[in-house]
Amino acid sequence: MKQRTYELTISPTGEVEIHVDGFKGKGCLEAIKLFEQMVGETKDVRHTSGFYEPEEDVHLHSERHH
Amino acid sequence: MSAVAVLTPIVVASWPAISSAVATAAVSLGFKVLQDANQEGVSLDVETETARKVTLNVPHSEVVTGTLGRDQRLRMSRDGVMAEFSRDARGRAAVCVTGAGYSEEQLRAIGEELGGRMVQQYMLTKLKNEMAARGMDLVEETVDESQSIRLRVRHWQN
Repeated sequence: MKQRTYELTISPTGEVEIHVDGFKGKGCLEAIKLFEQMVGETKDVRHTSGFYEPEEDVHLHSERHH
Repeated sequence: MSAVAVLTPIVVASWPAISSAVATAAVSLGFKVLQDANQEGVSLDVETETARKVTLNVPHSEVVTGTLGRDQRLRMSRDGVMAEFSRDARGRAAVCVTGAGYSEEQLRAIGEELGGRMVQQYMLTKLKNEMAARGMDLVEETVDESQSIRLRVRHWQN
């Protein structure tokens, strides 16, 4: 299993900034989509150097546990 | 770290969820939440005769309500300012701020601060619930000097 780490900052205006960590390649975009479902619309995305590393097989489950 | 995303919050919630966030936000800003309209002998209708009034909508909000919830509202006061959250005619959350001796700009700033903090508290509760439901672990929660809430979350993936 791989550990993903997310750092979220909820500003006093309610805007949410998410730092997605532990991914290589575009797997981080799937993680951002997961948080989109919880919060709202993506206003801006900035990629760091890890975004351009080779792809890894990532599948995040968006369904809720019951 | 691979990416940083900024998300605009969308608030679609029932009145109990909205009012809970409003009450928490109000207390954090030093407001006293009033249990009924005439508590402390102050009402918005009386104050409007001598005081300025500003009404603001909370952006990207929708208060989901049934027939029973249409007249629900929550009032609070601080330093001669009265604020009232309610559902406007278009279903959005709205805040009306009234206060004698305050400029329109000051009242608008108070209303925007209240509305923002309400959304912040709503998002905090929603994220905690949604992340827990998805098996994510909240390992740290702090509030920084700018009153932003910082969450550190761990998630194990196959």
